[in-house]
Amino acid sequence: MFGWLATRPRSSTKGPLDADEAPLKSPVVAQVAQAARGLSPQFRGSRSNSPFRSSSPFRAGSPFRASSPFPRSPARSSTPSGIVPVGERDFSHLLRPEIFHQLSPLSIPPPFRNTSKQPTPETPISELLAHGQFRAAAITSVQALTSSPVSATIAAAHPPVDPSDYARVFSLLYIRLACLCLIDSVPLAAQEAKALEDLNQAYYLDPITGAHLMPWELRLLAIRLQTMGFGDPRRAIMSYYEMAREAHLQIAKAAKAHDHSELELWKRRLAELGIRVAGALIEMEDLAGAAAHMATLRDQAQDGKLATAKALLWLHLGDVDAACRCVRDGKGGDVGEKVVLALVDMANGQFEDGLKKWTELKAELEESGIQDEMVGVNLAVCLLYLGRMQEGRQILEGLVDDGQSSRTLLFNLSTMYELCTDRAKALKVRLADRVSNLEPTSHGWEKTNADFKL
Amino acid sequence: MSHQRYPSMDPVKEPHSVSLKVLRYSFIESLSRQDDFPAIEAVPGAATHSSRTLGTTVNHKLCSRRPGSRVARLPVTAGTNPDPFLLTPILNLPPSFGSAYVGETFSCTLCANQDIPPEPPAPAQPPAKVQSQKKSIRDVKIEAEMKTPGSASVQKLLLGPHGEDGTPAATQETGVADAAGAGGVDLEPGQTLQKIVNFGLKEEGNHVLAVTVSYYEATETSGRTRTFRKLYQFVCKGSLIVRTKVGPPPYNTATTRKGFKQAEDENKPKKRRWIMEAQLENCSEDAMQLERVVLNLETGLRYRDANWIVSESTRPVLHPGEVEQVCFVVEEDGKGTVLEDSEGRVVFGVLGIGWRTEMGNRGFLSTGKLGARNTR
Repeated sequence: MFGWLATRPRSSTKGPLDADEAPLKSPVVAQVAQAARGLSPQFRGSRSNSPFRSSSPFRAGSPFRASSPFPRSPARSSTPSGIVPVGERDFSHLLRPEIFHQLSPLSIPPPFRNTSKQPTPETPISELLAHGQFRAAAITSVQALTSSPVSATIAAAHPPVDPSDYARVFSLLYIRLACLCLIDSVPLAAQEAKALEDLNQAYYLDPITGAHLMPWELRLLAIRLQTMGFGDPRRAIMSYYEMAREAHLQIAKAAKAHDHSELELWKRRLAELGIRVAGALIEMEDLAGAAAHMATLRDQAQDGKLATAKALLWLHLGDVDAACRCVRDGKGGDVGEKVVLALVDMANGQFEDGLKKWTELKAELEESGIQDEMVGVNLAVCLLYLGRMQEGRQILEGLVDDGQSSRTLLFNLSTMYELCTDRAKALKVRLADRVSNLEPTSHGWEKTNADFKL
Repeated sequence: MSHQRYPSMDPVKEPHSVSLKVLRYSFIESLSRQDDFPAIEAVPGAATHSSRTLGTTVNHKLCSRRPGSRVARLPVTAGTNPDPFLLTPILNLPPSFGSAYVGETFSCTLCANQDIPPEPPAPAQPPAKVQSQKKSIRDVKIEAEMKTPGSASVQKLLLGPHGEDGTPAATQETGVADAAGAGGVDLEPGQTLQKIVNFGLKEEGNHVLAVTVSYYEATETSGRTRTFRKLYQFVCKGSLIVRTKVGPPPYNTATTRKGFKQAEDENKPKKRRWIMEAQLENCSEDAMQLERVVLNLETGLRYRDANWIVSESTRPVLHPGEVEQVCFVVEEDGKGTVLEDSEGRVVFGVLGIGWRTEMGNRGFLSTGKLGARNTR
């Protein structure tokens, strides 16, 4: 139970009133100090009374003010002298080969391994990503990061990274971690993300502007992975609040400069952070907390997405009535409302009604030229629950024929194969073969054995 | 759910022509989880850095809650994906058996498949001979029984699918007609007879689902009836611990609060009144939301709910190990005689608790007869 505690870096005992830390000689020494300096005074104050006030810090213009009396990262008001200039910073500690794991091709079904669709080692990473070759991209990015190409031609295709070129280092790290997640190797990604250590340490900040050197997306991903890697679910929530503060600062700045696109970007980021906090609470199994938090979020995009998200959370919790209320009166958008109501029928065990709704929605979307994989998959699940597995199986096979290959689709179809016969393995291998013949797209092409329950 | 093949009652040693497969119906972890990866097409080595140069192109979806959880990667075409929210509406079939709890309904599907291995291509054999060896499978029947920990005998189960009125409906399998419900069906190669089990779990402990499949295996020259039986064992766990306490009201003065008209009844004989409290503890491993907590009282008694409906708060959510305290005011309604047992104990009735878990899965428990000492 406490095994993971040993791997968590010790928290610093610095408090919010402490001056900024002294310049860091070696970032390896820099410890995660989030626990001590993570939460803003406002947030801590709100925690002690009611964790989720009606005014959410994830709304632009809310009392989660940028003019905090204790400005924390990344907008540091004063820069300690003697800090290493950005251009001279050495990130070679993030490039050590021992950080990165070997990826075994054995988890890939043979039809994917033995085909001309497998990329050559010289294929540029951008092309690999465009064709959904995520495993190859994960391997290639490490070759560039660790300067360990197998041959001279590969070295020419993927030049080793310069440890001071932080933009390329972080870009490659993002590709590595995201691709690991996409090939269902999240536990490996969670281990590798630990090497980034404290994401708010001064070494990652521009001393002049206070801007974070990492791309926003890498920070979001790294937070999630570190949360898993260190086994500390609260870490994600604290970090998202930190980022929310930064978003507030940027919103204020953009508003002052009348930079409309920048303003919209940061408002969108802020709203997304609010939704990510809800996700983190769900992963902590604090469903009531997640519901209370979601209630404070306002639908800024007005596209029904947030309403649908709220309804899904209520369904997850089991409150079917509350799920209906979230999408009623057009709040969830036309399609969103129908999706939720069909799920509600299934949750109530009224599979005939659910089947009718899914069938109608499928026909409706197809009329507008949309083939929604989710609708097809749920229709098939509904049929299975009604004792009509053969029809469900045909629908799922039709989706594969049309080029769909999400993991849920393949998993559900493989499960149906297992129900159909003692010789399900042959059917699953045939399915793997069919999917391997699909044209690679940026949505991903290579699958793992687990996808086919092999 | 562990399973084993029952010691064969079948004297024939050949493999069976029909296979039986079982899947539990469960919505646990059914809503897929996802992460989104905007900007994954960032080109490494972009000359100048800014977080905005990583243009968002395609959203790659993934679910990564824990190893083994399933993954959805949805097209965003119909706008049905609420990304970047963790949950998506696409439904996963259950990855494992999960846990079964008292008060819930255990549901599973039973699939009897015509599973004769396909004839290996044997060009040497004349076609006529192959014909003569072809088996046809007729009159396939599935029967199921449940053995519960508390009873010595087994309970025969009524198998679905059922129509709206609860009568067995014809199975919708292509070409398979389950005419009378009880009668068997003929199965062509690759066809399946699918049945559904629903069983209300009332006891903790080991349950055994016994499934018997019988069929008639006919060749052109002969035929025989064959039967096999499979046992599936699973453990049912407790879901809710209920503790009750009945006491006198804290004050006996007349109250004018909503729901009571005690004040105007001064001339009538005083009605007895009790406060009934109950602590409901979630002892399962999943969060549950209490849907309703009601008293089913004996004649001569009425009650007033003093819980979340009255306070107009949301239904309480109980995470594993959490306790919700509920309270009722029970009083004589003056219309009938209150039932008392031999020791003068007033018998109230039973407390019924209904809850729902993930994806609306229902549970319901009722207590034994509750009562209070005569306070007269």
